[in-house]
Amino acid sequence: MARYETLFLLTPEFTKGEFSSFESAVQKLIAEHAGSLISCERWGKYHLAFPVRRNDYGIYGLVRYEVSDERKQGLLSALKTFFAVKYVDSVMRSMTVVLSDKRSLEYHRPESLEDMPARDVDTFLKENNMEGLSRSHRRTQEPVVKSDVEKE
Amino acid sequence: MSKKMKLKISTRLLKKKNKRNGFLSKQCRFCAHEENLGLMDYKNATFLRSFLTERGKILSSRISGNCAMHQRALSCEVKKARGMALLPYCAPHF
Repeated sequence: MARYETLFLLTPEFTKGEFSSFESAVQKLIAEHAGSLISCERWGKYHLAFPVRRNDYGIYGLVRYEVSDERKQGLLSALKTFFAVKYVDSVMRSMTVVLSDKRSLEYHRPESLEDMPARDVDTFLKENNMEGLSRSHRRTQEPVVKSDVEKE
Repeated sequence: MSKKMKLKISTRLLKKKNKRNGFLSKQCRFCAHEENLGLMDYKNATFLRSFLTERGKILSSRISGNCAMHQRALSCEVKKARGMALLPYCAPHF
């Protein structure tokens, strides 16, 4: 039995509902070729290193599966067709890699935009000691009052 | 009497350098610690980014200290990551 993983890049407009239907379609395709799905994960939205199809952001997904040596060619070509033809508008990039039996299934992935804590302008300014620039700080400051001597 | 084989100039210079800076010579981090091999993966863009220059070029093994085998494997993983837009081919605005 050979183990494979396919990393694919989807357009940023791909919703979570659409991803679940995409996942079930992939699972069905793998089952048709007598394979077994190990995992299908949605990594989340990422800022891409360079624009792909004029998109600066994209959603990554990773699917891992297992298939016998006799049926692997059929499954791999079917998956390629699936990404390149059926979901041609949504899947921007895909890459299939053989998984070694010796290595574990654990992997590290970069932090997505959804994993990062949401920050607004005031939080950013506070973290970088620039509180004076924030609008709320300027509003709370008391107005400068000239003394009677200066007025005269 | 057998003649002593003279080494190539590059090997002689390398031996001389290592003799001089024996305690400073870099070790391949993947050969020294096997657990680092698991980090060398095209999906692990944060780890692979440390092997790129600010312009996005792959650092030579002379700078990174990798051995030839792991340098080849590393460059292969970086190129895979570049294809999937996890790493840049070149830095922007250059």
